[in-house]
Amino acid sequence: MSDLFDHDALRALIPLHAAGVLSGSERTAVESHLAACAECAAEHRAHRPLAAALSQAVPQVDPPAALRESILAAARRDRSTARATPRPVSFAPWLAAAAMLLVSVGLGLYVRMLHERIQGLEGELREAIALVNDSQQRVAVAVRAAVDAQAPLAVLTAPDVRQINLAGQKVAPAASARAFWSRSRGVVFTAANLPALPTGRVYQLWFIAGKTPVSAGLLTAPDARGGMTTTLATPTDLPSPDALAVSIEPEGGVLQPTGDIYLVGAAH
Amino acid sequence: MWLLAVLDHRSDFGDPARADADRRTVRRMASGDDGALADLYDRHARMLFSLALRIVREPSEAEDVLQEVFSQAWRQADRFDNARGTVVGWLVTVTRSRALDRLRRKRSRPEAPHGDQVATEMVDPSASIDLQLVTTEQAERVRVALAALPDDQRVPLELAYYEGLSQSEIAATLTVPLGTIKTRMRQALRRLRDALAGEAV
Repeated sequence: MSDLFDHDALRALIPLHAAGVLSGSERTAVESHLAACAECAAEHRAHRPLAAALSQAVPQVDPPAALRESILAAARRDRSTARATPRPVSFAPWLAAAAMLLVSVGLGLYVRMLHERIQGLEGELREAIALVNDSQQRVAVAVRAAVDAQAPLAVLTAPDVRQINLAGQKVAPAASARAFWSRSRGVVFTAANLPALPTGRVYQLWFIAGKTPVSAGLLTAPDARGGMTTTLATPTDLPSPDALAVSIEPEGGVLQPTGDIYLVGAAH
Repeated sequence: MWLLAVLDHRSDFGDPARADADRRTVRRMASGDDGALADLYDRHARMLFSLALRIVREPSEAEDVLQEVFSQAWRQADRFDNARGTVVGWLVTVTRSRALDRLRRKRSRPEAPHGDQVATEMVDPSASIDLQLVTTEQAERVRVALAALPDDQRVPLELAYYEGLSQSEIAATLTVPLGTIKTRMRQALRRLRDALAGEAV
């Protein structure tokens, strides 16, 4: 689709996209171009205020006074019912992905893994290969060392970098994160408002392709304000993810997610 | 760390203090505090109602739109994604989207068979999710500049933003070639941008 549009043609559409008046294939083409072209992304940011200005440049009219009370009353009625009810997991694909993660935590698997952990990392890896019988999973647990200080910049400026936003889940509703992933250069993961870790626990990042979570490595512990940034090398044969997730796991990491999911984001 | 500063800057241009206050309010909403919903309403209802009214043109329908928007904000407060945009960007986006939906339902009723096809061609307001409000002065300058645009520039832009028509629909409605519509919309947006920046139009 983007073959139809070259850089100049797409650049000309940026003001229209920023103002929120673009549709169909043009909108899609601009969006995929913005992800790849820093120059156009900057241009787009500069045009951002137009959308706000258009929404505010209408005659300002006070809503009827009764509307406020009616909205608040509806919220109070709603609180006792809807808010207490768990949301359906089919709401969005990434929620389904999160559910898959939880489902995959079979008790038997968990017991086996606890047992394996005693055997040490080597045995763990061998068993993982036997268990999952999937070559992609061989990379699963490797605890990747934090790479050098130039690495985040290399990832952020990679031609194939993709941004994936993650939202806090029920255990950490205020948390949020962004991942910048380049197949060739690795992933920069930055989070805010993550809860402090109990002793002996660690946050682990997962790439989920289809139904299969693959570990992308362990995240550094959040600071006092819940913020952290970790740069990880990712194997180049990592499957292209449908979603990213962060779970809390025993120190050292695990082969398959076992703990609560803290963050989830769809990769599309 | 420099990286975080860079990333924060990406999402927080505009008025960070106001955006932060909104974020705190939404966090209180997520914990079930309906006083926080009242705060959010008091801060933004007038602007949102005005936008909805401009699109649907019927005060009672604009009220329905606001009901839906604040009800959704209340139910989904625990899922608000900081990283993705501002609270007000979310509110404006959902308001415009709901209001345009109503307009489309009314419009497509006579020719229902085309309904599906029309939906895929529609503008997508979600592009505006990370917007920050402009000042009252700036909004006024843009309003004046919009009114001062020649009709052949103003009408296509209004049809797109406030009526949700795609460019090919606008071209068909006005019986003007598609390329001309694009050029005129770009010219219109350039003038509005100048007005926003405070330059004489």
